[in-house]
Amino acid sequence: MIRHPISKKAALVLGLLSILTMLGFYTLVSGWQHKTNPDDTTIPTWSQLADGVKQIVSVDERSEERWIVEDGEATLSRLFLGLFFGVLGAVVLGLLMGCFTPFESFLGPPLSLLAKVPPTAALAVFFVLAGTDTRMYVAMIAFGVLPTLAQSVYLAVREVPDETLYKAYTLGASQTELIWNIIFRQILPKLIDAVRLQIGPAMVYLIAAEMVVGDVGFGYRIRLQSRLLNMSVVYPYLAVLAAFGFAMDDMLRRVQRFFFRWYVHEKR
Amino acid sequence: MKNDKETAVPVTEDIVLECRNINHRFGDKQVLYNIDLKIIRGEIVALVGASGCGKSTLLRAIVGTHPPTEGEVVVKHSKGGPEHTVRRPGRDRGIVYQQYTLFPFLTARENVAVGLMLDQTSIPFRLFRYPAWRALRKKHLAEADELLESLKLGNALNQYPHEMSGGMRQRVGIAQALVMKPAILLLDEPFGALDEATREELQKMLLTLYAKNTEARKNNQPPPYTILIVTHELNEAIYVGDRVVALSQHWDHAGTGLARHPGATVVYDRMMPVYLPDQTPDFGDFKTKKDVLRNVAFEGRFITDRNEHVTFWQEVGAGEGWAKNR
Repeated sequence: MIRHPISKKAALVLGLLSILTMLGFYTLVSGWQHKTNPDDTTIPTWSQLADGVKQIVSVDERSEERWIVEDGEATLSRLFLGLFFGVLGAVVLGLLMGCFTPFESFLGPPLSLLAKVPPTAALAVFFVLAGTDTRMYVAMIAFGVLPTLAQSVYLAVREVPDETLYKAYTLGASQTELIWNIIFRQILPKLIDAVRLQIGPAMVYLIAAEMVVGDVGFGYRIRLQSRLLNMSVVYPYLAVLAAFGFAMDDMLRRVQRFFFRWYVHEKR
Repeated sequence: MKNDKETAVPVTEDIVLECRNINHRFGDKQVLYNIDLKIIRGEIVALVGASGCGKSTLLRAIVGTHPPTEGEVVVKHSKGGPEHTVRRPGRDRGIVYQQYTLFPFLTARENVAVGLMLDQTSIPFRLFRYPAWRALRKKHLAEADELLESLKLGNALNQYPHEMSGGMRQRVGIAQALVMKPAILLLDEPFGALDEATREELQKMLLTLYAKNTEARKNNQPPPYTILIVTHELNEAIYVGDRVVALSQHWDHAGTGLARHPGATVVYDRMMPVYLPDQTPDFGDFKTKKDVLRNVAFEGRFITDRNEHVTFWQEVGAGEGWAKNR
């Protein structure tokens, strides 16, 4: 039957099975490839992958740094700073647009247009305006996620029922208190949802920029090692990126569930 | 059982809320015409009328969210105190809606305490005088707990609105408004979405408030609760209201020399029997009153003069009903 529920145990078994199938398929393809060409590095064997991981976590002779630490620090700091400024800007603009109609009319059209421009296509603009250091990456992520996030915040504010606002006024709320104590608190869990959706695009913008102009970072390393066909390094990097994205999403989901259980129920 | 032997009655000059010649238009369409309404402190006034007759428009004008196109609404918080014209929602008028009454992100006690917080403190106070704010917060929560317990919600203090039943939510909503000690409590079809049993339970809760008014008057204190309840349920209006006001579009406008229909106006304003929570209503009397109300306000039959059933102030003047011992 459509949407017939299954037990948690069955869901877990199916989830594990899908991952094992994927790994089994990879082992099979890698084995075939190495039968044809024993020196192949495009689909490395598990032992080659282990060597790649060793290379990533060991101290590099030239730079005297561990790649994973060096690249991780650079990429994560850029990503967090970019997301921080993007979310901050989006909250301010979204609240202004949702609460005050002049701002809605003034900011709505440019944000709708900017939301359609892929930041990776405007990479050159960011180079020109912000150089090629951390500022450029931060600006790119911030401006990349801001239009969509601001629109999400704006829509969330508009969804707060008028009655809720009238009620707050009758309880003595000032305009600022209404925005801060009532509206902002009511939209916070929706903001978390919106940020969760923007983690993926933010990582795409960052990795793309690092591939083009970076001298350190995940994007830079992946580009460099891809050119050398060193996939035993590239694949672990991709796995780390996937694990990081998953961990961040899961953390935000848990925060939402813990602090906003009223919303989790409402969403259901 | 008509309880017209209540002791003290509202001092009829102590007007809490007054609608002065309210007219309201939406574009070319006039919705309300010449509404004059004075509500005495301590009354529970039920406002009835058919769907679309302008009840909600009048209520919005009173709340202050949609001021009337002509006329004014005036509120006087205390007897002899200054009066002010309503221009926006304010803390002197509590409101309970049918839906969205509570803030979903606050528990029952926080929902009740939030008004005290907003009214008595500011954002800088809460940020920069945190220890003082924490102490005050404790006091607010204790006050909220006390009020909720008096409304039999002691076991739901830490529940979120989504964890409560519809009846509990509305009771918390009433507590949220009452904690502010508003000059008047406005109820916009508050029990409309509830089942019969819960509805009756909440109606009795309103009568408990009325009983507290009676008690206050006995002690020569101003009655603490003045309520305007908008409802389309006639039984409810007669049961909980000590006065019923009906709006209707069915009235003889041509007889007053108006060529075009000018919208709904007050066609019924009468005193009602007062019941205490433990008293059984006189259902025979209910039926008679309901029939008149239905004819006048809902079907527009037998209307010759719109003031024919607007006799509340004459009844008060003649010392009828609860005004006997005035």
